[in-house]
Amino acid sequence: MRATNYHRAHPVSTAKTVVLGVGNLLLSDEGVGVHVVKRLSEMSLPSEVEVLDGGVAGLGLMNVIMGADRLIVIDAVKGGADPGSIYRFGPEDLTEYADGVTLSVHEIGILEAIRLSEFLGHAPRTTVIGIEPRSMDTGMELSPEIREKIPRIIELVLDELS
Amino acid sequence: MRKRIVIDPVTRIEGHLKIEVEVENGKVKDAWSSGTMARGFEKLLRGKDPRDAPFVTSRFCGVCFSVHQLTSARALDKAFGARVPWGGTLLRNLAMGAEYIYDHVLHFYHLSALDYIDIMAIANYTGKDKGLLSVKDKIVGLVKARDTYPLTPRYKPDEFCVRDPDVVISAVKHYIDALSMNAKARNMGAIFGGRTPHYQSIVVGGFTQYPDINMVAKFRSMLDEQAKFVNEVYIPDVLAFGTGPLFPLAKMGLGGGHHNYLSYGALEKDPEGTDLVFPPGIIIEFGPNNGKVHPVDQAKITESVKHAWYKEEKPQHPYNGAQEFDLDRTGAYSFVKAPRYDGLPIEVGPLARMLVAKDQTLLGLVKQGAKPGAVARHAARAIETKLVVDACSKWCDDLLEAMTKPGFKIHDTDHWEPPAVGMGAGFYEAPRGALGHWVRIKDQLIDNYQAVVPSTWNASPRDEKGVRGPYEEALIGVPVPDTDNPINVVRVIRSFDPCLACAIHLIDPKTNEIRKFIVE
Repeated sequence: MRATNYHRAHPVSTAKTVVLGVGNLLLSDEGVGVHVVKRLSEMSLPSEVEVLDGGVAGLGLMNVIMGADRLIVIDAVKGGADPGSIYRFGPEDLTEYADGVTLSVHEIGILEAIRLSEFLGHAPRTTVIGIEPRSMDTGMELSPEIREKIPRIIELVLDELS
Repeated sequence: MRKRIVIDPVTRIEGHLKIEVEVENGKVKDAWSSGTMARGFEKLLRGKDPRDAPFVTSRFCGVCFSVHQLTSARALDKAFGARVPWGGTLLRNLAMGAEYIYDHVLHFYHLSALDYIDIMAIANYTGKDKGLLSVKDKIVGLVKARDTYPLTPRYKPDEFCVRDPDVVISAVKHYIDALSMNAKARNMGAIFGGRTPHYQSIVVGGFTQYPDINMVAKFRSMLDEQAKFVNEVYIPDVLAFGTGPLFPLAKMGLGGGHHNYLSYGALEKDPEGTDLVFPPGIIIEFGPNNGKVHPVDQAKITESVKHAWYKEEKPQHPYNGAQEFDLDRTGAYSFVKAPRYDGLPIEVGPLARMLVAKDQTLLGLVKQGAKPGAVARHAARAIETKLVVDACSKWCDDLLEAMTKPGFKIHDTDHWEPPAVGMGAGFYEAPRGALGHWVRIKDQLIDNYQAVVPSTWNASPRDEKGVRGPYEEALIGVPVPDTDNPINVVRVIRSFDPCLACAIHLIDPKTNEIRKFIVE
């Protein structure tokens, strides 16, 4: 594998709609969001849509979040459903959102970054497309049943864009 | 009477850390630091093209991604025999400079300041400043709506918390301003980094993206804005707090520890790399009469796993380290190994760097009676942010000058192919402290890879001899007058700027209710 395969050039966000995939590529299905945007970035999308690999950053994505009017986040979501289940929700749908503590294993995850952007008065309209992971073991490959879902996840993202 | 307090997780840090302390007569008697997330990313690198390592290691962490990438590239520079041209070094420095500024400002305002102010004092602000009144309205509105995230303190304010409404409200205004500065600092890093997060332009041998004059001009104008904030807001705030309300904590040396300090050195000021913004060195048992700086010998670094959930039998040099877990290991209580230098636990980070550099501003504070500890860590962090800001400005000049010279180079293209066999160690100073990557190459592929990260040094558990790690030792004697409110414990831990993130990022709602949002 060549070094350049991991990354594609993305300018810093100025577009109105941002499709942001987040997760850790080194923890198998936890990186599904990044795998999805990698695929999306190879497709032809409307020019006002920017596709971004947010990787493992949390608060470091505030520049991206605050620069967007519309934000579609793709991330692994541990909701206890069958692996490969797909969720669609807004940050406001999470009832425990308010306490800011139990949201993520990380203290400062993507939802906290959205929340802080809101606090600054720059919150975009946000939809999260979540995927229930099967494995979060150390590894750079997706589980087969998660990989199979990628075309469907992409369809759902495209629905959001239309 | 002894009482054990468990803080799990420690909040407002990056990653997952558990701290246990035993309190007797109002003071911490003993302490244990546990990294509760397994990490073993390095084994993913075995068998890969070494040139992939900077990109893979960039994914270790969402906070320190660029410094992993750079340190990895530096390890490969050694292993490949590559010589980075001055242009490449300047670009690496500028990309890292943006990272430092982002990180340190964020740490002070967003991760730490709330330990030192009583946010509710804002309601008592009676001044007429329009900007501050809008902050008051905002916060009071959030309190009324019972929605004070992210400002709610986790512990009750104590006697050291600032309650003066004028000071508190301006601190909160700066907290809000700093969030915008952070977002801008990320964009600044992307100018040369190519993108953010996870830069793409740092590779073995140098840098991939040629700068043009417009990029340098853009970087400089963003840098000027950051410099203004650092000089006019961040540093004055830290000094006002440190020499004012927090001076009693500084004087008692809250959160001191072993007083052993290490800096690998970083940020070249000249093409030869002899003059560094952060010089390398090690100090053993710093004290009023001892600030002697010794040279660093990386051969003296070992990692003990006696109290960590790993299989190894005895301490290993990182070239030989492995990550096979042993969850049943007797006496183990952490996924963090215990790095030691010449057998000693060592603190790394801004305080270590500024002591090793014999920084006059910091030593001036020490002369005034501030002992190295939690407050001094915040001061050192602010002081070095200014050093980095000033250095970035100089590097912009140097870069413009270098760009005009014929044969301007940013990459050593002659050493792009991996050697059949080789080894290399890359050393750097991450915002949080000394970072080392070690690589061994066989058949042009990675044979072994090992990273020893700053928080491994600082958060380490006890070692072979039962000697505590830096966090643990720093907690001994810390006052905990009310065991329901261990605010001093988290002050000490947060002053190190822990980053054990190197891990998971998923959304974990901790509720089954999320299932009603399943679409298929």
